Amino acid sequence: MRKTKGKASSTEKEFVFEFKAGGNHCVLKVPLQFPVHGNVNDLHGRLMLLHKIPCFVEKDLKNKLLAFIERETLEDFDREAEAALQRITNGEVDINKLSNLWAKAYSETTLEHARPEEPSWDEDFADVYHELIHSPASETLLNLEHNYYVSVSELISERDMELKKLQERQAAEMDKVMQELGKTLSDQDVNTVAAQHFEAQQVLENKWASELKQVTGIQKQEYQEWVVKLHQDLRNPNNSTITEEIKVQPGQLTEAGELGARGFEEQRQLEESFTIHLGAQLKTMHNLRLVRANVLDFCKHRRHGSGSSAKLRRLQMAFSLYSSSLCGLVLLVDNRVNSYSGIKRDFATVSQECTDFHFPRLSEQLEVVQQVVLYARAQRSSKQREQPEVPRNGSSDEKNKNIERNPANILPGEFYITRHSNLSEVHIVFHLCVDDNVRSANLTARDPAIMGLRNILKVCCTHDITTITVPLLLVHDMSEEMTIPWCLKRAELVFKCVKGFMMEMASWDGGISRTVQFLVPQSISEEMFYQLSNMLPQIFRVSSTLTLTSKR
Amino acid sequence: MQPLRDAELGAFTFFASPLPHDVCGSNGLPLTPNSIKILGRFQILKTITHPRLCQYIDISRGKHERLVVVAEHYERSLKDLLKQDKAISSEQVLQIAYEVLEGLAFINTHGLAHRALSPHNVLLDCKGKVKLAKFGLYYMTDHGADVDFPIGYPSYLAPEVIAQGMFQSTDPSLSQVPLPSGPKTDVWSLGMLLFELCAGRQVLQNIEISERLKFIITLGCMDDIVTVLAEEHGCLDVIKELPDNVLLLLRKCLTFLPSKRATPAELLEDSVFEGISCLYALYESPVSLFSSSLRCAHLQLPDDITQLCKVDGEDYLTERSVDEVYYLWCLAGGDLEKELTNKGIIQSKPPVCTLPNFILEDGETFGQGRDRSFLLDDTTVTLSLGQLKNRLKDVAGEAYYPLLEDEQSCLPQSISSNELSAAVSLPLIIRERDTEYQLTRIVLFDRLLKAYPYKKNQLWKEARIDIPPLVRGLAWAALLGVEGDIQAKYESIDKDTPIPTDRQIEVDIPRCHQYDELLSSPQGHIKFRRVLKAWVVSHPDLVYWQGLDSLCAPFLYLNFNNEALAYACMSAFIPKYLYNFFLKDNSHVIQEYLTVFSQMIAFHDPELSNHLNEIGFIPDLYAIPWFLTMFTHVFPLHKIFHLWDTLLLGNSSFPFCIGVAILQQLRDRLLANGFNECILLFSDLPEIDIERCVRESINLFCWTPKSATYRQHAQPPKPASDGNGFGKTTAFYSSEYQDLSNTDLSREPLKLSELKAEVSPRISAEDLIDLCELTGPAHFKTPVKRPKAVKTKIVAVDIRSNEDFSRGHIPGSINVPYSSVFGPDGELLQCPSTNTLASYKSRVVVILSNITKNAAAFAAHLVKVNFPRVCVLDGGINKMKPTGLLTVPSPQI
Repeated sequence: MRKTKGKASSTEKEFVFEFKAGGNHCVLKVPLQFPVHGNVNDLHGRLMLLHKIPCFVEKDLKNKLLAFIERETLEDFDREAEAALQRITNGEVDINKLSNLWAKAYSETTLEHARPEEPSWDEDFADVYHELIHSPASETLLNLEHNYYVSVSELISERDMELKKLQERQAAEMDKVMQELGKTLSDQDVNTVAAQHFEAQQVLENKWASELKQVTGIQKQEYQEWVVKLHQDLRNPNNSTITEEIKVQPGQLTEAGELGARGFEEQRQLEESFTIHLGAQLKTMHNLRLVRANVLDFCKHRRHGSGSSAKLRRLQMAFSLYSSSLCGLVLLVDNRVNSYSGIKRDFATVSQECTDFHFPRLSEQLEVVQQVVLYARAQRSSKQREQPEVPRNGSSDEKNKNIERNPANILPGEFYITRHSNLSEVHIVFHLCVDDNVRSANLTARDPAIMGLRNILKVCCTHDITTITVPLLLVHDMSEEMTIPWCLKRAELVFKCVKGFMMEMASWDGGISRTVQFLVPQSISEEMFYQLSNMLPQIFRVSSTLTLTSKR
Repeated sequence: MQPLRDAELGAFTFFASPLPHDVCGSNGLPLTPNSIKILGRFQILKTITHPRLCQYIDISRGKHERLVVVAEHYERSLKDLLKQDKAISSEQVLQIAYEVLEGLAFINTHGLAHRALSPHNVLLDCKGKVKLAKFGLYYMTDHGADVDFPIGYPSYLAPEVIAQGMFQSTDPSLSQVPLPSGPKTDVWSLGMLLFELCAGRQVLQNIEISERLKFIITLGCMDDIVTVLAEEHGCLDVIKELPDNVLLLLRKCLTFLPSKRATPAELLEDSVFEGISCLYALYESPVSLFSSSLRCAHLQLPDDITQLCKVDGEDYLTERSVDEVYYLWCLAGGDLEKELTNKGIIQSKPPVCTLPNFILEDGETFGQGRDRSFLLDDTTVTLSLGQLKNRLKDVAGEAYYPLLEDEQSCLPQSISSNELSAAVSLPLIIRERDTEYQLTRIVLFDRLLKAYPYKKNQLWKEARIDIPPLVRGLAWAALLGVEGDIQAKYESIDKDTPIPTDRQIEVDIPRCHQYDELLSSPQGHIKFRRVLKAWVVSHPDLVYWQGLDSLCAPFLYLNFNNEALAYACMSAFIPKYLYNFFLKDNSHVIQEYLTVFSQMIAFHDPELSNHLNEIGFIPDLYAIPWFLTMFTHVFPLHKIFHLWDTLLLGNSSFPFCIGVAILQQLRDRLLANGFNECILLFSDLPEIDIERCVRESINLFCWTPKSATYRQHAQPPKPASDGNGFGKTTAFYSSEYQDLSNTDLSREPLKLSELKAEVSPRISAEDLIDLCELTGPAHFKTPVKRPKAVKTKIVAVDIRSNEDFSRGHIPGSINVPYSSVFGPDGELLQCPSTNTLASYKSRVVVILSNITKNAAAFAAHLVKVNFPRVCVLDGGINKMKPTGLLTVPSPQI
């Protein structure tokens, strides 16, 4: 049974030892603390030394001391034990409550007494998929995924086309109306037209959204059923309808790859890699990368690149999806859990570009997160009501007010996690809440955003996320106040904090090698980029290059 | 540890409870993970050896606070005995009871209680004898505080355990922790177990846990617990028919009130065991290597000597001790987690499925269901030895019993001996992972250590090849010459009374090699503190300098369960290599040391020395922590071990060579950089290839004349040999320059300022005679035998004028008059004598002169123009005159 730790009760007892030395009768009295900590032999040695006990009683003293300690310790055990039994008999402790607590402890922590697990579709599917993707069937799986992807992107391009047409038509109409404004038509009429346009657009968007939803839903179901069937068929190879399919399938991908290609200007990324060593004596090696790119580049599938590299990347992501080397990305969001605006909206758009065959749609995941946030708030407030005397810190009052005003919102430094199997380089997205404070020039290491980063790295440790991408400047887009000194200062802060957290991580997980990518906005100048890449090796210890030529 | 015999290796796993988020310890440092606490506490269990206990062997930490414990294991347990329909005879019940009690009484003497007694934890070996398993679980988890699951099994919990269990949560205002369970709780569990054996069925199986516990508690109101239990299970008639002594034993065990219940030790003496206690002999633990009692006291030759040679089959491996077998099992590719995963004990979900949804700012996670794979499944899995046996099937029996008498060859002469001698030439890293090689080495070292100190010389010889990691602790102790009753000595040192140094020790320990699990555990900290305090208290003339903690770390790590040995090794190491470094005012010792070091740099690598001196990067700036801690401050433990394996074989001047070897590895970077970069480089020393460093430092050592590293403040020669025939080794590498008797040809002490002024080291006249292989009157000591392979090449350069030279000089020396070689600016002039000089560039150059100052200046010039291995004859040519070794060249015709 788990015990809360505190100071152990201790009592003092006196050990008395008598012996005769020549004609003298000597008495040694030693007060001893019970329960006795430490080695009795040491105690004995110390008594001999300090009290200058003659060596001829050494053995005798030792035996007496051992016997005394044993007897008294046993007595203490008995007293404590019977006191506990007494509490039950005189009703201080309720026997029902007690036994229920024990039963609960057993059923919650031991397999023997735990309730049998309800089968979970997700995990079974995970096992099946992980097995298949590491088998010859992986190619088929990828081809199938790709075909689905192509049909979704066709749908999306159709949608975009239709929306574009509608917008063009509406623009033309609006032009006309504007020309007539003041002549035959009034402001009122213009507003009506605008409203109509908006409505039409909404209707169209909704129509497409629901269609997309339906298509992806069907795709997902088909896919999962197919995967399970394939797995069964591979288990008993007599029935080999699908294994034939596997043989037929290859070859389609390249065509399909070109077919799905769509105009997408890929801007050249700037990046630089470093290998670093952390630790004073025992050093662990990690990889760092400084990348100038748009944060969503890590999510979007690249249509332009050559077919084989895109395929390799997808295979790599599929391999590692259920493994213990996941890839994560930190996305900076505001305090609302939705995908209506800004980067959240862009991210949602990207995440819909192809079907997620493994995890729920982003909107569904966000709904769950919203529920969990409300639950967490309720938990917290009930806990705070229980222990009102522990004020967390000065700003907690204001924070609490914010929470009370809108418990569904999240606070800076808090983050929620979504899982994706359909993004190009990322499995896990950490949505870290930041406020306008991150724009200020004097951000400190105690800022909630930094603490959030620490917690993100901690989750990376506990859940085997070995590659993590972090926005170095804690912003996704540059603005005017972000001058060169601002950038340098911010980069230094984040570098140093991440270094500290990484050293801390070594003690959490025993120093597993990781990759940390620092992301800087696309709009940063090349010069600035190189300034940052010069700063990195000054903060982290970059490992020396290996010289292959021997000196002598 | 006892041999494996018919036992098997078993492993079980559990999780330590995770720490709360963002809580710091009282010292402001992060809390130690519970798994590390358990790991530290576990270590002492390895020393608890008893025929009734399953020997604990190892613990390892996996990801996410998982722990895997390896212990001796048997497939059969009391559970199997219960399953079979055959009734168990009352005699057998008594035997089992007695044997369990033996085991319990033994762990009680070590202050442990079992707490988790159950039929499947009472194992039976092939002879049907009891072996208790999992007796350390309660202790290592800090009485259950470091794990989430309750320790013990519901049916067998003693009533007081149930009553104490939830005492805390019902009354949170009480901050006092109740005492852990005492030895008597196990007696109750044993009673339940014996009842099951007698009744032939499991008790309380069909009711729910909470009801079960309630039932046990209510037993307190009953007069006759045994009868009530029997009625409850409908086996009253079986119980009634039991012999009186069995029934009496049951009653004694199932006594409700702890104060009335007997302890295991008391029960063992009880009259119920009258009939069978005579069958069991008292167990005596074997005598350790270092103790006052005679190790051979109980050795007896059997009457029939042929019994010793009887062939017990071919399975020599099982005669090795359990920890050796486990070590070899790991080397042969054993993987604990894999074995457990194969048996379905470790079931991990993909991490992507177990992610939380939402995390608060303080790190608390939400939306993550309880992961079933974290539940406790304490089934013990048998580790198959098949792979290991297969690997070792070609190893001949001789390898297990090497003959030590033959000083010439100690490797067994078998078919595989060729392979083994080939293996010796492989890199150390590979040798340490080679199963067959490690087997032969461990067996050999084990035998040599058992024969220590008698076989000390041979041990030194073998240690020069390598030291097997498994026995490194003892091997080092042997190399350091530890002897005597170290335990008694250690115990007589007062390690508890506060001393002024305590605070500093307290600050340093949490910063010393904390990446290591053992040393960062609370147990490790306690031991650290005690060993350090013992050293400080027992060396009143020396003081604690920061760095002593690092120095202590390797000894403590290797002898984690034997503080006395760690202390003894440290006490032997410091005077040998760091004599007087820990004086309160140690500046003169360190200054002299560093000056000699910079002379060594100039001697071996003049170019680097010139550069470092030019930028002012002197050894004082970086080398103090190197030498004060003998490199333990700058390297991780696994590198220290390899470095020290060689260091311990060398004499006190070997560290200089290591220092130079490190500098040479960083040579390119040092040469390319200025002062600031060098400081930065050394503030966090880059990775050093330690095997290369060792190899190079041995090479440097061979090139260094012994007297070149003479230090006035080195350890003075020990008093003449105490007649201990095997106590003294006479090896070229290990003998100290100072140990050799002082003659008028030896080096004479120099003032520090004079020493500092000289760039190149001085060597003594006797070294010169020895190295030039001059023969002369035999009044000076003869050099010790030196391996021919490392014969030092030397050239004596006489810089006196031509006339002086022709009046008498050392045979083989060349004459390069001081004035003829160097120009006014110190540059080397082009002349015949410089050409001769240049042709000797690969040799040690000894400068002879009648004026010491000239010789030193000449040497300095040579170093300036990157001339390696330049030294100066101490005392000049005048020292050589009395030897009668000078010759006059025959007049040229």
